[in-house]
Amino acid sequence: MSHDAGAGRTLPLGVFSAAGSWYGGLALALQQVDASHLGSSSVNTPVAFDTGFRLTGQLAPSVQDLSPGPRSHGNALAFVMIGTTLPASGLSVGGSVRWAKLRAVDGVDLLYPGSTRVDQSGATVDARLGLLKEWAGDQSLEAVVLHERFRMTHDVTFLDAFWDPGTQQFLQSPRLVHDHDFTKRWGLQLKYERPLTASGWRIGWLATANRISQPDTPNLDLLNIPQDPGHAAAYELGVGVSRTYGPSLFGMDVVYQPIWSTAWAEAGTPAATLGSDTSRFHFSNVLFRMGVSREVTLGPLTRTAALQLGLVVRSVHYDLAQRDDVDATTRHLEESWLEWTPTWGLSLRFPELELRYRGLVTHGTDRLVTPSNQFVTNPADLRPGFFPSPGLSMTLDGVHVVTHQVSVSFPLR
Amino acid sequence: MMTRSVGTAYLGLLVLASGCDGWKTPSGPPASIDAELRQSLGGWSVVPIGATPVQAAALVDLGQALMFDKVLSGNRDIACATCHNPVTHAADGLALSVGTGGSGLGPSRTLGPGRQFVPRNAPTLLNAGLGAFYLFLDGRVSGFRSGPFQTPAGVVLPSGLPTLLAAQAMFPVTNREEMRGAPGDRDRFGNPNELAELGDSDFVSVWQAVMRRLLAIPEYVSKFNAAFPQTPTSQLGFQHAATAIAAFETQALTKTDSPFDRYLQHDDAALTAEQKRGALLFFGDKARCASCHGGPLLGGGDFANAGVPQLGPGTGRDAPLDLGRGELFNQSGYRFAFRATPLRNVELTAPYMHDGAFPTLEAVLHHYNDVPRALREYDASQLPPALQPMYHGDEATISAVLANVDGRLSRPLGLSDVEIRELVAFLQSLTDPSARDLSSLVPARVPSGLPVQE
Repeated sequence: MSHDAGAGRTLPLGVFSAAGSWYGGLALALQQVDASHLGSSSVNTPVAFDTGFRLTGQLAPSVQDLSPGPRSHGNALAFVMIGTTLPASGLSVGGSVRWAKLRAVDGVDLLYPGSTRVDQSGATVDARLGLLKEWAGDQSLEAVVLHERFRMTHDVTFLDAFWDPGTQQFLQSPRLVHDHDFTKRWGLQLKYERPLTASGWRIGWLATANRISQPDTPNLDLLNIPQDPGHAAAYELGVGVSRTYGPSLFGMDVVYQPIWSTAWAEAGTPAATLGSDTSRFHFSNVLFRMGVSREVTLGPLTRTAALQLGLVVRSVHYDLAQRDDVDATTRHLEESWLEWTPTWGLSLRFPELELRYRGLVTHGTDRLVTPSNQFVTNPADLRPGFFPSPGLSMTLDGVHVVTHQVSVSFPLR
Repeated sequence: MMTRSVGTAYLGLLVLASGCDGWKTPSGPPASIDAELRQSLGGWSVVPIGATPVQAAALVDLGQALMFDKVLSGNRDIACATCHNPVTHAADGLALSVGTGGSGLGPSRTLGPGRQFVPRNAPTLLNAGLGAFYLFLDGRVSGFRSGPFQTPAGVVLPSGLPTLLAAQAMFPVTNREEMRGAPGDRDRFGNPNELAELGDSDFVSVWQAVMRRLLAIPEYVSKFNAAFPQTPTSQLGFQHAATAIAAFETQALTKTDSPFDRYLQHDDAALTAEQKRGALLFFGDKARCASCHGGPLLGGGDFANAGVPQLGPGTGRDAPLDLGRGELFNQSGYRFAFRATPLRNVELTAPYMHDGAFPTLEAVLHHYNDVPRALREYDASQLPPALQPMYHGDEATISAVLANVDGRLSRPLGLSDVEIRELVAFLQSLTDPSARDLSSLVPARVPSGLPVQE
């Protein structure tokens, strides 16, 4: 990412094999994710500004390490899949499981501004079952059922400043925040495609439904959402066309992605509410993709080379209506932005080897910039009520994300 | 256990964090203004300061002498109290201070021949003894009381400094414009200025040279020995002088018995209705003052580019501009950002902002009400004539300042004239009556025999 806003590297290794009507694959990957660089703390130590009356300056027993954590952490991923085809019926059935041991989810460090270190640990499991039905005339229907579990813990160390009325000085005390992030997801996706005309055009439809429940979410300083359980429903509805013209292929699609989400905070003590719970969060995103590719024969050493160019435009819009039924306060937010991603790729197919390169750069995204060495007023911890005022001096810095992907495929004899 | 609902999506966390403009006025039943205000105050950790810890009398006595003694300056013509004069509420009443070579006191002080203004306004020392984490307008001296302190001197800062204020007091004597003088200067008696001949980064030699001057005066030796009875005279360093100066500042200039402080101690009658309305604005979502000026000190813990007009000779590589904290190493994200000053007694310490660009609190609040417009329409005629040519109102400068203006001030606040008056009334409630006349702090004489108030 630009502006030193993070980086990552992944090294995958996979094998794929088929025997008769069965096929299967295995892939392993190691991943390294670099946290955003929030500026130097060489001049001043980043601290949170907790000015409550607290007279202990002792190191909290749970805080083991106040040193800044390493900027890079590693993830380990494994993927297995197996499937079979039933030629008589035109059916293919497959299943896959992806497991990852996570110590570095990108961007989590940004969710705890003012912290001295964030230690992440957790795992995710993703299981899928797919069915492909093919008919004569090059029509196909694909269905995938998905279940995913994502569980992380964030051990976040802050160094708080607090006011000692005895000495009339600010003192410093460490604080450890132990947050959980647990998400379960069920999803179903259907895809259907068929030739549109005899002239090489094809058309396809896509429909996806996801149900996400979140028994635990992190208690982020950035938001006024305490450790809320919640749930969300996310859908996709899309249509796309493509056309083959000799060695050239053109395709485009558009996908509408509405999301509805609800979460709630459990009051620490019984609280009287004034009415029904009526908060809503609604995303209304649109994804547009188009691309072209062309294959050429280069010479005796290569069978083919293919060049791909593409563009992805993603429009994100959401509105949030929150209501605190205890304090009878409301808040409404509406945000929208546009991301656009040009992509390019090159494939070289040799008789015994295939090389692929794909590059993309995403513009229109922002990264949170929180000065690392300022006092961070954190009324989320201090202010009574459910909607604290924003006391954090935050800005979003436009960044672009560049991705390079290289893959090498060759047969194992 | 009852639950409350609120819509959210983890997907949008970062955007949510930035979108703070949709706050609505609470729709619940109206509360009394005191109940509403006390609820607002609770959110910003605003607490009464209480009594100041008593400083040792001998330490305060030494600190007072040093504070007013021009022998600390290279040319023997300026004391700490010249720019931090109790008569002008521990400041000088000038937009930009006049350092060594100048003449006069307070707002009538004028530059000496060939001299330049100090790049920044002299902040008041009122309540400087309360332990802020950052000192100087760019926060270049910082740290908790327990240390370590970050200062321009780095590792050569002597150990044993008890407070950050004492660490801060080490540095004005090293500053050429303020107290040390330029190479080749001669002091008020025509003698060579030995302090001015030392290198700019040779802090230790400057401190040692100042101490040689002080310890050449028998009365100072006695005062130092009384203040530091455990320290042999041969081991006294300028850190001991700075410790004494800080003790005097803490003892004499901590003024926190304001009507607002009494209100914080549950005296509802301490503030007028207008002041309470102003406080609601100050601590509320409309004016958002407390987002920088919160906490026990009502500020001091944050930096912000408030879009203040650029004025004066500037400092550092970007002179004649003044990048404030952004000038410090590795702090480029803070371009044009300055410390949000603690606000107790602010009524007494005009002119305001890092360069004294605004002569009144009303002018400051009109600026905050619409920073982009106010900066573009800034009227330099409100400045003293000597400073008007030093206003940098060109489009490039204004654009540079606004490009990095604090997000809380990038759009108009929408305050009415009535609301601005209420805010001013609240700011006036931060004045400790005993801070209005501090002239009794000026000693009749100092051990060097140099004039005190000239």
